[in-house]
This record gives sequence, C-alpha cells and structure tokens, in this order.
Amino acid sequence: MAKHFRSKSKMNAHDTTHDLTNQAKVYAARMRLQNTIDQADALDAIREIAGNLIGTEQVAVFKVDKRRSELWLYWSFGIDPNKHVLLDVRQEPQLHPVLKGKPVFREHPGKNLLSTDEPVNAIVPILVDGAVAAVVVLFRLVTHKPALEPVDRQICEVLSNCAARAVSPQFAK
Amino acid sequence: MPKKVLLVDDSTTTLMMEEMILKQRTTYNCVTAKDGLDAISRAVVESPDLILMDVVMPRMNGFEACKRMRLEDSLREVPIILVTTRGEEEYVEAGYQSGCNDYITKPINGHELVTLLHSYLGE
Repeated sequence: MAKHFRSKSKMNAHDTTHDLTNQAKVYAARMRLQNTIDQADALDAIREIAGNLIGTEQVAVFKVDKRRSELWLYWSFGIDPNKHVLLDVRQEPQLHPVLKGKPVFREHPGKNLLSTDEPVNAIVPILVDGAVAAVVVLFRLVTHKPALEPVDRQICEVLSNCAARAVSPQFAK
Repeated sequence: MPKKVLLVDDSTTTLMMEEMILKQRTTYNCVTAKDGLDAISRAVVESPDLILMDVVMPRMNGFEACKRMRLEDSLREVPIILVTTRGEEEYVEAGYQSGCNDYITKPINGHELVTLLHSYLGE
C-alpha cells in the first residue's frame, strides 16, 4: 500500500512539474514578446521562442500583401531564404484558415502544410489590430522532438497575439 | 543554507523559464549570466554549487567557458551541465571534452531538469 502511495505521489510530482514547465514556457514567451523594445528585438524574440521553447531552429516570417493573394518572405532564420521568397495563397490551401486568424499545425508526419521540401510544422498568423498582417512558419523540429505538443500550440497562440511589433514598426516602444 | 545555481544563457526567455521552474520546484537560489565570459566572472564571485549553461552564446560559447572554468581552482569541482539544442553524439562528446559533467537538450523538460539537478545537489 505504501509503495502504491509513493508511486502515486511520484507521479503527481511528475505531473505537477510538467504543468509547471508548460506554464513557465507560456509565461516566458508572453513576457519576452511583451517586453521587446523594437522590431529587431521582436524578431529575435520569435527566434528565441521557436528555438528554446518550441524546438525548431528554422523559422520564417512572411508578410501578407495588400491583395492577400501572396505572402512574401520578410525575415528568416535557419532556412535558405532563396527557396522561400513567396507563398502563393492560391497554391497553398493551408494558408486560407491562417489568413482568417487560425493557426494550423501538422497533424500527420507524411503530410506537409506547404508545398516545400522542408517539413512545415506550424503556420501561425500574427495579428495586428485584430487583422492578420503576417504569418510565422515553423519548419523542421530538432531531431529529438518528434512532433509539436499541446503546450507548443499555446505558445503559438501567444505568438499570434503578442508579436505585432515584429512586423509593425509603429508598435515600437 | 540553500544551494546556489548559476544559470547561463543569452536568451532571456530561457533564463526566465529555468528560473521559474527552479523557484517553484526546488529550494535552490538562482543567479544568472548572459554569456560565457559573464558566466566565468559571475561564477568566481558567486561560488555556485552547480552551473547550468547554454552552448551557443555570443562572446564566448559554453564549451570554451566550461574549459576556462576548469582552469579556475574554485570552479574545478563545480558540476557543469550544458544545455544544447543538438543531442548528436559528436556534439555531446565535445561537451564532455570541454569538462562538463552532464548535458540536457532544449527545449527543456522541467521534470528532467529538476531530476538532473536533484541528482547533483540533492532535494
């Protein structure tokens, strides 16, 4: 019986730490983005959050053009920018929900979100004054991370709502 | 007397997260440094019981900082855990050659971090 309680309490400690890690990640992402000082710092925050909290060293930000038919590469880290100059909305169906403000995540390893050679694990809209001004694309995950986890989706929500400064200089402090 | 942990990372996001986890789940005190050079001077002044250090940092990376710390009498025996995004064998081997005791991969798993630190510092 004592053994049962011990293992149960060990499991609870594990669950509590797991919850706490998730809270800490979401909190750190929010604080980092809210405390950015200018556009360059905000883009650096996106890189940090992608690399240190989510687990990808390949990330890009695409801006939405006025006609909302194309997205052009605005900033990137860890990818070949020449391969990802433009995203054509007509050829990328996964961009449709994103342009309406809904992030999309890779559900099946065999199915990519964009028509590129690199695996795309998430496309996250960046909201500026409630409208989608840009998207963050998270490419290949680090080798020891097989897939995005529920907490990563929460972090992406934070990215969506708190990263306006990265694409709109008027948000500079 | 609570144990002291020196957290080293150029990413404020990572430092914030590590500090939050350790404050909530352990009794350790945390001090921070933002790169390898800063870490060496902080470590000499603060005499931490353990150093948790990122590898990729500006000015001086974690491998080099680790090597230099091992040359300091006061830091020779302090456990150093490197934090790396890459878990590949050669990368880990380079860490051990620089004098680290252990390594943990990013993105950090809180339970793994706390368990590892407990194994060196006790609960």
